[in-house]
Amino acid sequence: MRVPVSWLRDYVAMDMSLTELATKLSIASAEIEGIETRGVADEGGNLGLFRIGKVREAIKHPNADRLQLTKVDLGEAEPRSIVCGAWNFGVGATVAVALPGATIPARPGLPDGLTLERRKVRGEISDGMILAEDEIGLGADHEGIMVFPEIEPGTLLADVVPLSDKVLLVEATGNRPDLQSIYGIAREIAAIYDLDLAEAPGLIPVGTPGGPVKIQVGDFERCSRYVGTIVQGVTVGHSPLIMKARLLGAGMRPISNVVDITNYVMLTLGSPLHAFDLATLNGGGINVRRASDGEKLTTLDGVERVLTADDLVIADDARAVALAGIMGGAETEVSADTHTILLEAANFESHGVFRSSERHRLRSEASGRFEKGVDPQLADQAARWATELIVEFAGGTWTSWNDVHAGLPARPFVEFRPERADAVIGVKTTPDEQFRILGKLGFEQEGTGVIVPSWRARDVTREIDIVEEIARFRLEEVPFTLPQRREMFGVLTREQKLRRRLEDALVGLGFAETYTPSLRPDDETTWKLPEPISVDLTALRTTILPSLVEAVARNIDAGAKNIALFEVARVYLPGDGDLPTERVRVAGIVEGGFSRAKGVVETVYAALKAEPAFARGEHRLLHPGKAATTGAGIVGELHPRELDGEWGAFELDLDDLFAASREPITYTDVITYPAVRQDIAVVVGEGVAAGDIVATARTAAGAELREIRVFDVYRGEQLGAGKKSVAFSVAYQADDRTLNDEDATRLRDAIINALATEFGAELRA
Amino acid sequence: MTDTPDWNAYEAEAAAAAQAAASSDDLEEARVRFLGRKSDIALGLREVRDRETGMLLNGVRTRLEETFDTRAARLADDELDRRLRDEIVDVTLPGDELPLGHLHPITQIRRMVEDAFLGLGYEVRDDREVETVEYNFDKLAFLPTHSARSPRDTFFFDPNHVLRTETSPSQIHIMEEKEPPLYMVSIGRVYRRDAITATRYPIFHQFEGLAVDRGLTLADLKGTLLHVMRALYGPERKVRFRTHYFPFTEPSIEPDVSCGICLGSGCRTCKYSGWIEMGGAGMVDPTVLANVGLDPEEWSGFAFGCGLERTAQLRHDIPDIRALWEGDLRVLRQF
Ligand SMILES: [Zn+2]
Repeated sequence: MRVPVSWLRDYVAMDMSLTELATKLSIASAEIEGIETRGVADEGGNLGLFRIGKVREAIKHPNADRLQLTKVDLGEAEPRSIVCGAWNFGVGATVAVALPGATIPARPGLPDGLTLERRKVRGEISDGMILAEDEIGLGADHEGIMVFPEIEPGTLLADVVPLSDKVLLVEATGNRPDLQSIYGIAREIAAIYDLDLAEAPGLIPVGTPGGPVKIQVGDFERCSRYVGTIVQGVTVGHSPLIMKARLLGAGMRPISNVVDITNYVMLTLGSPLHAFDLATLNGGGINVRRASDGEKLTTLDGVERVLTADDLVIADDARAVALAGIMGGAETEVSADTHTILLEAANFESHGVFRSSERHRLRSEASGRFEKGVDPQLADQAARWATELIVEFAGGTWTSWNDVHAGLPARPFVEFRPERADAVIGVKTTPDEQFRILGKLGFEQEGTGVIVPSWRARDVTREIDIVEEIARFRLEEVPFTLPQRREMFGVLTREQKLRRRLEDALVGLGFAETYTPSLRPDDETTWKLPEPISVDLTALRTTILPSLVEAVARNIDAGAKNIALFEVARVYLPGDGDLPTERVRVAGIVEGGFSRAKGVVETVYAALKAEPAFARGEHRLLHPGKAATTGAGIVGELHPRELDGEWGAFELDLDDLFAASREPITYTDVITYPAVRQDIAVVVGEGVAAGDIVATARTAAGAELREIRVFDVYRGEQLGAGKKSVAFSVAYQADDRTLNDEDATRLRDAIINALATEFGAELRA
Repeated sequence: MTDTPDWNAYEAEAAAAAQAAASSDDLEEARVRFLGRKSDIALGLREVRDRETGMLLNGVRTRLEETFDTRAARLADDELDRRLRDEIVDVTLPGDELPLGHLHPITQIRRMVEDAFLGLGYEVRDDREVETVEYNFDKLAFLPTHSARSPRDTFFFDPNHVLRTETSPSQIHIMEEKEPPLYMVSIGRVYRRDAITATRYPIFHQFEGLAVDRGLTLADLKGTLLHVMRALYGPERKVRFRTHYFPFTEPSIEPDVSCGICLGSGCRTCKYSGWIEMGGAGMVDPTVLANVGLDPEEWSGFAFGCGLERTAQLRHDIPDIRALWEGDLRVLRQF
């Protein structure tokens, strides 16, 4: 909410600096997001350059048909000559003048404001500027310059009109509807600084008339109170300058005296109002009811709304005339011809307003307040004060009053222990001080608790809510302590540690870690957002690699070299229950082909003390002949249609990887009885996989075969067509003795015999 | 053999030749001449008949061999020195290019957060990202009218399933799984329906802390956040609290950390306030405790949440959050 400071001063006398006030309010009440100037900047003597002047001469500009050339008396020795584009005044008029050097504020069409200079306009000197309302932030329309009653020339304009004001940008939280009002914020300031708060306007009934207003409420759940008043014989016109200036400062556009008053009272007290032109209401009364499905209403913004039975409407005898609590209808709005108004100050249930506002994608100052919850006690106060203001500024006679409700809620009593506040806040506050703060906020001490003010009844219902009221005034005094611990200590789990090791291993291999969005354009998943914000972020991904392919492609375009990217993130797989199965995976892409990727995966496994189990595999992103499963995922060469050149890729499931990890490692004695090493080469058919040779050798040699690794594959004429030689190194070792040459021969024969039987392998000389 | 050579003169001549040799090759030539198979002394030794002469000649030969060995070692050293003096490299040339990767700044921040909380005795966890409305809103005491429940703010799959809007459902999960005392930090991805801008991305990371124990106070929360903010931003930082509202904490606050750029005097980064918003926090609402079956008179708790991207932006002065999501190596290789 935008809060003009002059408006606050109507209710609380303040002399602290605004910067300090903003800090205190931010800490105790609501964040102050900034302090702005409304109207003319009050700095560097600027205000002194705005004066009242009297027009002594006014003729047509000799060189421009649409300009006037004037001489304006500003109480100086000589009148100043000023060129002006407006014609709604003449000799003798009292006007407002900005002198050269004055800075006028920014406005639509003049985004940076303007500092005036003495200059020639079409050959004639212009030594100032005669002002229109919008040029100094006092109105919205450029309807010609301001003309005043007789005032002494040279008088400071700031003494005549609200020329300059500061505006606090207050961002109140959702639980504080009372801070959606000037008076509510004034109340907070009074509590923070222990100042007197002026009584709220409209509290004292002054001659409430007895004439009736036809009001029928058909749904007290959704409309707990409806106050209606009628004022006959109003003259719709302009509001007073001060009201216009404050509304502009608050961010609302002045419209007419009647409408401005409803907004002014809403901003002051926080209770929204609406004025109908009574002559447009069929039957001359109000019926609050649910809309019928398909019923239509054109709201003030000119949009035709198709209503549902969940929408609450204000209706006359024939049709809906307002979407309750959100926006009035175009056909019944107050216009220049309006003579009799029906003023509404009602209470609409917050969730109903929220649903209608969502459904129609329509938010307003009123709906924002009703959604947060408006104090029902305010309705009659707001109606009374607004009616008084209408009579004062638009004339007419207040003829009728009606207040329809099904009983107003009692102010809640809440048990409260001051020592409980100390226990939660961690700093002591005397009970006297606690009740002083509460008193300033409108809470009344009674017995073992407090009675909550009606404007806080919604969010203060429990002792802890009262504790918060104390806490927010003590935040700066709360000390810095740590919990007194007797249990618990912090340690990463095995999986969390292995994840760090995995990340570090890949970093050691030259990979850069990246993060890509979990949402994809469209994946093969049922987990799609029905209303995505963009097609790129639509479906939860079931694999990470496509995002990495895109990231690599962008890097290629950017000219990057030695590209290697990895990501650790979740995939979301269709699950058995009503939630997806979320699995954390590591995926990577690296320049180089299949063996590069496989080497990375082998190193990752080795870092995790796990053994991969490679088998031929397939994946839609991978080369069909160069892809393998590992036991925890896939590795392979990227399909050439994905990226130009040879690229290795892998995607592994972390839980599966970590389950295979032998951490913590059990020590093996490899020192006492050293290993015997040999190289063996066998000739086999082309179709025999190296992995199968290794597996067969392991089975044949048993536990004494400690290491085996293929180091060469050779094809040549002397081997014959369709044959290859596979060379591998082995290490034999026992736990209880040093193996001798006979042992080595025995193990080697066992391996060769098994390979001969299984694959027809021949030992290569 | 007619003459008997003067072996003293021979020894002196040989020793002089060794000293005069300017290179290993010269020395070897001299060694062959004075000690080789056809040298006078070799021939002399072959013809020795008496013990006395034999001792004399052996003595000469042994001394000369020592002399030549010493000279050879010296010459070898000199030659190595000379050769190395010629092997000068341009030490300003780059070395071999070895692979070195990079952890993403978010991962680095995640580890800093984990380590800070491990030091305070917290456990680390992460929970599911697709949540039920029950865990994301209901059990966290969001009012039916809270704007986060609107599909305008939150990604809904259907009326009952959302992408979690904060890591706070972890509070419910851990309190349902375990008995207090509980000290945990949950770190992971969260989702909000925000348009992509320099400061907002619809996917981001949060860390969420929760402590549930007997007798916890707002002061304990303040002290905890001070430690964590100092771990993340440096030991001179200050922390202050501002009142706020969250459905699942009461009292609720927003913690601010003093601005590291202006050190509190006000600058553009801190919008001239000297303070930077760090997230949300508060004492666990008694309703939330009751929702998981804990007695709010016996147990109390505090909770807080904070964005990792925001932390990374502040720590590393990254103006545009999108840089963290694009996988651009020119960005990643800086970290
Ligand atoms: Zn700063």
